[in-house]
Amino acid sequence: MTFHPEILCPFCGLGCGDIGIDQDDSGIAPRPSGCPQADRLFRRPMAVATDARMAGTQVPMDQAVAEAARLLGAARAPLIAGLAADVDGVLAALTLAARIGATVDHERSDALFRNLAVLRRFGWSVTTLAELRNRSDLVLVVGPDPAAAFPRLWERWVAPPPAFVPGGGRSVVFLGGEPLPETVQCLAGQIETRGMETDPQPDLATLVTRLRTALAGRGAAEDPRMAELAARLRAARYAVVVWAAGLFDGPQPDLIVEALVRLVRTVDGTTRCAGLPLSGADNLIGANQACTWRTGFPLRTGFEAGAPFHDPDRFDWRSRLRDADVTLWISAFRPEEPEFSTGGSVIMLAPPETAITAEPALFIPVGTPGIDHAGDVFRADSVVALHAGALIDRGLPSVADVIGRMLVALEQSADAREKAGC
Amino acid sequence: MLTKLAGGRLFDPTNGRHGEVADLWLRDDRITADPGPGATPDATYDLTGKVVMAGAIDIHSHIAGGKVNLARLLMGEEHEHHRFAGSPCGCGGGSGLATPSTHTTGARYIEMGFTAAFEPAMLGSNARHAHMEMGDIPYIDTGGYLVLGSDDFLLDLIATNAGQAAINDYVAWMLTATQSLAVKVVNPGGINAFKFNARTLDLDEPGPYYGVTPRSVLTVLARAVYELGLPHPLHVHGCNLGVPGNVATTLDTIQAASGLPMHMTHIQFHSYDTEGDRKFSSGAAALAEAVNRTPTLSVDIGQVMFGQTVTASADTMAQRRTAPLAHPRKWLAMDIECDAGCGVVPFRYRDTSYVNALQWAIGLELFLLLDDPWRVFLTTDHPNGAPFTFYPELIRLLMDRDYRLAKLAEIHPDAPAHTTLGSITREYTLAEIAVMTRAAPSRILGLADRGHLAPGASADVTVYTDRPDRRAMFERPDLVFKSGRLVVRDGTLVAMAQGCTHVVRPGFDDLIERRIARHFDERLGLSLKHFRIRDEEIRHGAGPVLHPCRRREVP
Ligand code: SF4
Repeated sequence: MTFHPEILCPFCGLGCGDIGIDQDDSGIAPRPSGCPQADRLFRRPMAVATDARMAGTQVPMDQAVAEAARLLGAARAPLIAGLAADVDGVLAALTLAARIGATVDHERSDALFRNLAVLRRFGWSVTTLAELRNRSDLVLVVGPDPAAAFPRLWERWVAPPPAFVPGGGRSVVFLGGEPLPETVQCLAGQIETRGMETDPQPDLATLVTRLRTALAGRGAAEDPRMAELAARLRAARYAVVVWAAGLFDGPQPDLIVEALVRLVRTVDGTTRCAGLPLSGADNLIGANQACTWRTGFPLRTGFEAGAPFHDPDRFDWRSRLRDADVTLWISAFRPEEPEFSTGGSVIMLAPPETAITAEPALFIPVGTPGIDHAGDVFRADSVVALHAGALIDRGLPSVADVIGRMLVALEQSADAREKAGC
Repeated sequence: MLTKLAGGRLFDPTNGRHGEVADLWLRDDRITADPGPGATPDATYDLTGKVVMAGAIDIHSHIAGGKVNLARLLMGEEHEHHRFAGSPCGCGGGSGLATPSTHTTGARYIEMGFTAAFEPAMLGSNARHAHMEMGDIPYIDTGGYLVLGSDDFLLDLIATNAGQAAINDYVAWMLTATQSLAVKVVNPGGINAFKFNARTLDLDEPGPYYGVTPRSVLTVLARAVYELGLPHPLHVHGCNLGVPGNVATTLDTIQAASGLPMHMTHIQFHSYDTEGDRKFSSGAAALAEAVNRTPTLSVDIGQVMFGQTVTASADTMAQRRTAPLAHPRKWLAMDIECDAGCGVVPFRYRDTSYVNALQWAIGLELFLLLDDPWRVFLTTDHPNGAPFTFYPELIRLLMDRDYRLAKLAEIHPDAPAHTTLGSITREYTLAEIAVMTRAAPSRILGLADRGHLAPGASADVTVYTDRPDRRAMFERPDLVFKSGRLVVRDGTLVAMAQGCTHVVRPGFDDLIERRIARHFDERLGLSLKHFRIRDEEIRHGAGPVLHPCRRREVP
């Protein structure tokens, strides 16, 4: 039995670095971390099938790679999606995409694009987790409790007393969402809720508009609760507006995001106020960062005659899936079967423990970054990148390894064709 | 592989050559001595009449990291209009002009004969990201300057009188943990003050919370850098960037260094006086005079060129001030990790605007009034004054007075009266350009085997045709070698090469680590183990290139 202390968790994007892992001959298991995701995803058996499968039949890795290269090389409209990999895996996927003219997108990019749409047309004013923890005296949570997607958000970044707030007091106001029971437990007396008085499922856009109206100094008589909240925002030293756009439902969630950025800017004109848009499980942010530095465009980018081309609607993987003849699906973090269907062939790169009901054309087992091999992942606040180390060796390649081999195979077949004069 | 570059005119100021005709030999990735009559080169290039220089080095160019990537996202229109396919040599293509993507950045630099460019504002909290990006820029060497001076830990050390030794240890620890090459201070204490809602902070004004003045931040950091013996002096982005009248602050800042070496960056943005009806005029003459008589100072200009660009800076205080001028009208700001911040504001410099025209003239004035090219560096503060691809045009403005006067006649008619530019006759020589873009950068950064052509130096060589149109000459070199490999021929990429990442590691008393670890655990929610960047993370396992530091005492 070996104990690994202070292990970095690569899963949801909060970057917890304090996970304890026990290892024995049968595999690894986490000590209870207070996080259901870490408790589940760090539990891995030692014995796994390392062979690839072609239509369900075991084949050697070389053969699987060659077949993948053949399928991708011949594809008319290839798609690389899922894209849940460490930064090196994503960069390899981008090289491959440029080579074969594929479009790339991350499985969870919906939330990101609700925020990016606003960034790209309007800009934003945001902050990071350590600023939230140390500087904020007022936290305004808009919409559903982000802890649903970021389990230890409150415990790690809001429960510790803020270092730069005299007296260390901090209040947390939920606007248009209920704190989860764990959140209530964690933040004890600091929590208040607004906007749920008459309707348990209020319209978020309307609530945000009401608050902005109050900030503009109008309607105090009809809406005293909002007027009071607006006054508190104006009186705060450093207010942070937190939202997880992935959890917004209703039409045009990006308009809510834009209203929030405008709200932040109004308050920030006289005192300090910043937003904290959270999205980022399975290295979503890292995938977007790498795509942006490599191509100049965010995810949902394809290649047109070798040059990158971005279209946030058309290249959403869900719409691309409809005409993709070959899909390379990458899911290195979670041994969970992704939910999608396509008429084209699927090449799946996923952990071998993944229970598959619909066997793809090719299944190539890969390791999980931070478990089977080292890899870089970005935190959900997009500034901090972390290097998750390797814990165990199960003989599983990384996504970057596998794609690297596909690229070599593609090169070789191109050379062979050239030699044959075709 | 032995390569002979035969009969070119060598401009190699480090080794005292100013256009002498000589052969140059490259063996593998190094310049080598003439192997003698029996040697048979694998390749020979007849360079009769050509100008031969070491690869150029850009000491200040925002090419990688969080703020650059945010700027790319914000500048979507620009990227849509400038998309590039990859090349058969392995360059992946990309997009963008002011904020080019990684491969595009490397390609544009090497096509102009630059073989190194340094990211001058790497935040500790974002260093791993910056390194990943730098590792993805092909062809050129890179390295990052670590931003300190608004980080809560340093301000706390100063406020609690922890002493210079503790500060030196912290600086050395941070440089090591973040794999940095130099220390940069941006609006000393000002980014931190902004987080406490201070919208301005003067050199001698105590900041909120810590009560520490920018002057004391500046002096402790300049001293730390000096005592640790870093090759590059403290890289200073001063207070009050862009504010009319700020030349007074800049002159005070020179005083504050009190004899310690200092590099003042993008001084064009810090050279404004308040004369005239518009209360905006050039302070270049006074500043140039002060720099000329202070041999411990070096500067780069941050030249403004007309057109669309984007400004990206850690100076959130200054960026918030200019945000209302954003063009297109969108901007972003970020407070970062009890460390620093970033602000990105798109900007279009117009020659028809009095202020922009004067900024352009002030930059040129500074270039021409500063008499020692070993202490002046060619920068546009890419992309803040202009994209780095404007360098050839800028070189022409410096080398060709008639061209300069013709351009001066095109700008806002009221601007020329408020600068001395029209009366300056100086033209830079080829030898001075070689100093400013090769010899001096390698000296000021401590890169002993870069920026010159002596045996043992890295075989980074650029060959130009000597054209009277200096822009055309510097835009499109005939040949560029990176680490001995021919990568550009007639301005076109012909092969792939990878550069290296340069770092320093001055050493420290590890007692400081306890205090740093507590700060990381209690404030940043991240243990040191996860913060530190290991050598194997640099350039996919290649690791960094280390440059020596020589500890010294302040006299
Ligand atoms: S909160 Fe997120 S980062 Fe932290 S342990 Fe859970 S899944 Fe991992």
